[in-house]
Amino acid sequence: MNLLALLVDRAKPLTLRQVRQELGKQYPDSDEAARAAFERDKAALREMGIPIETKTLGGDAAGEVTYWVNRSNYELSDLRLTDEEREALQLAVATVHLGAQHGEEALWKLGGERILGKASMSVNIGLVDANMSAITDAVMKRKTLNFDYKGEKRQVDPYGMLSRNGFWYIIGFDHLRRDKRVFRVDRIEGSVLAGEARAFKTPVDFDVSAAVPTEKQMLAAGDGEVTTAVVLVDAPLAPGVRREFGESAVIRDREDGSVEFSIPCANLDGFRLWLFAMVDSAEVLEPQSVRDHVVQWLESLAAGK
Amino acid sequence: MAAKKRTAKKNTAKKTVAKKTVAKKTVAKKSVTKKRSSKPAKKSAANSARPARRGPRSAAQRVSGLLVMLPWIMQRQRVKISTMARQFNLSEAELVEDLQMAAVCGVPPYTPDALIDVYMDDGMVIAEVPLVFSRPLKLSTAELFAVSVMAQTAMQLPGANKKGPLASALAKLSPLMPAGAETIKVQLPKTRFVKELLVAVETGERQEIEYFSPATSKRTARTITPRKVFEDAGRWYVAADDHLSGEDRVFRVDRIEKLAGVQIFDQLREVRDDELPWFSESLQQVTLRVQKQARWIVESYPYVSRVDNKDGSVDLIISITSKHWLGRLLLRAGNGVKVVKPAEHKQLASETARSVLARYQTTVS
Repeated sequence: MNLLALLVDRAKPLTLRQVRQELGKQYPDSDEAARAAFERDKAALREMGIPIETKTLGGDAAGEVTYWVNRSNYELSDLRLTDEEREALQLAVATVHLGAQHGEEALWKLGGERILGKASMSVNIGLVDANMSAITDAVMKRKTLNFDYKGEKRQVDPYGMLSRNGFWYIIGFDHLRRDKRVFRVDRIEGSVLAGEARAFKTPVDFDVSAAVPTEKQMLAAGDGEVTTAVVLVDAPLAPGVRREFGESAVIRDREDGSVEFSIPCANLDGFRLWLFAMVDSAEVLEPQSVRDHVVQWLESLAAGK
Repeated sequence: MAAKKRTAKKNTAKKTVAKKTVAKKTVAKKSVTKKRSSKPAKKSAANSARPARRGPRSAAQRVSGLLVMLPWIMQRQRVKISTMARQFNLSEAELVEDLQMAAVCGVPPYTPDALIDVYMDDGMVIAEVPLVFSRPLKLSTAELFAVSVMAQTAMQLPGANKKGPLASALAKLSPLMPAGAETIKVQLPKTRFVKELLVAVETGERQEIEYFSPATSKRTARTITPRKVFEDAGRWYVAADDHLSGEDRVFRVDRIEKLAGVQIFDQLREVRDDELPWFSESLQQVTLRVQKQARWIVESYPYVSRVDNKDGSVDLIISITSKHWLGRLLLRAGNGVKVVKPAEHKQLASETARSVLARYQTTVS
């Protein structure tokens, strides 16, 4: 901290020799040890986001290096936030939990404070994956990512990220497949490795939300021959399905309150998961091939094989 | 003002910060771990606990903390030590120690008009004559990311003002954002009644609801007093006093079919995140053997423990909320999952399959 104070205060580049003169006994006497201590302090400051500029001198002092800090490189410019704006940010940070402390730290730097009371509402957006900070950094700075996914080495230009239903997705250009692909962050195997900043450009028409298929789209995105099935849903569950798939999926309302829906089923595995979440409160009526598939699944399970 | 008590004489300070190592007892940060290991929601964010701090704080950690605290205190000039310690998740002793360290920092020849004028007096932290370290450091990428995610999430919440102070704060922050920040989005589920429930939390008005419970496959009418509305892993929940059972319960908002205020107002009561009553009854634990083809189970359900077997299968211990719920899980998983114990549930998969099959055998399609 004294090193920083000195470099800021002197406002001109100093050589290590001058730094040692100024800081006196704070650095060890031996050249080697003093150099090591200085390097350690310098690295620590860089780590904190305070870059120390260096320049190698020529002429008489050839080979000597000077060091200085440029305050505008690390100090936050005054954003002129109003009290109201700061309070709004405080409230946002108190309501939205990330599972990481960066939000609070940002608040402090912006002159705000953590609200320590209890909130009537909260939202949890997990950021806890071990790779999360490397990934967000890569997305923000446009770095190419390397990671293992489903047993393959991938090289991905991460165009964007989406948090939906408790999962984080990376959407990007997959060099292996030479196409745009979606990856779930928690399914990445091992750790990610990021390349240089500004390694790629994101397409101008890129839309993060549209890039990750919804559950509804997932049911439709398969290679099954049959694309929709007629499903009868019992009265207690029908309103939920109606909300999920919309009025256009309704074929007819029955008198007992149950409803017949037209549901995408090209992705049969996904369809089955959706269907069986309702256990015996739903039934596939048509087509026969999908009905048979469901019956076969049930029979094999009933037989305990 | 009372006579100032300098915490240390600056001209005697000759130690470098980096050399000063302080071994001390660790103070774990307030843990936000929730009792949710047994929640039947997605597991992904389940461990969203702030990592507890372990081991003594390093000198570098303390300095980087100070670089945040000093501009903060200079903006306020006087803050209670206890308030400031709580704000920064430090014990009072730790805070005092850090501020003392700051107070002995300066520039040669370390005369009293040095750089950092922070001292403590009568339980207050007082900062004067800001010179250096008065401006906060730039926001790191991680911090910018956090702010943008939090703010855009907050903008989606019911009742958010799209043109309010949060929006204008974000606009002021936008020049700092790296280009990639634009393509990071958070999508909150759109669920009806969230807004109404929030209002009810604030007024204390009891609500009559019709609720579907998949654990029993039944719909019940009940009266609740909502206490907290929260979103977790893509779903909205409401923690409420349930007047039907007389217990505190958590309900999934998307399973509320009807909702109406009943003009009875209960006294307001706040529920902390760590007090959320996920389940009222004690839960049964079940051991499942999960084969490779049903691996999604491991990723989708919270589990108590997990053992990876040599053949690629996984033994999972999960807590179940009801037999019906376990049956549903087994039905969806198919033959990729078997109940190892308890014995009473070993036949559950085939029983459940038979009950569903009965439906297909009686219907003429």
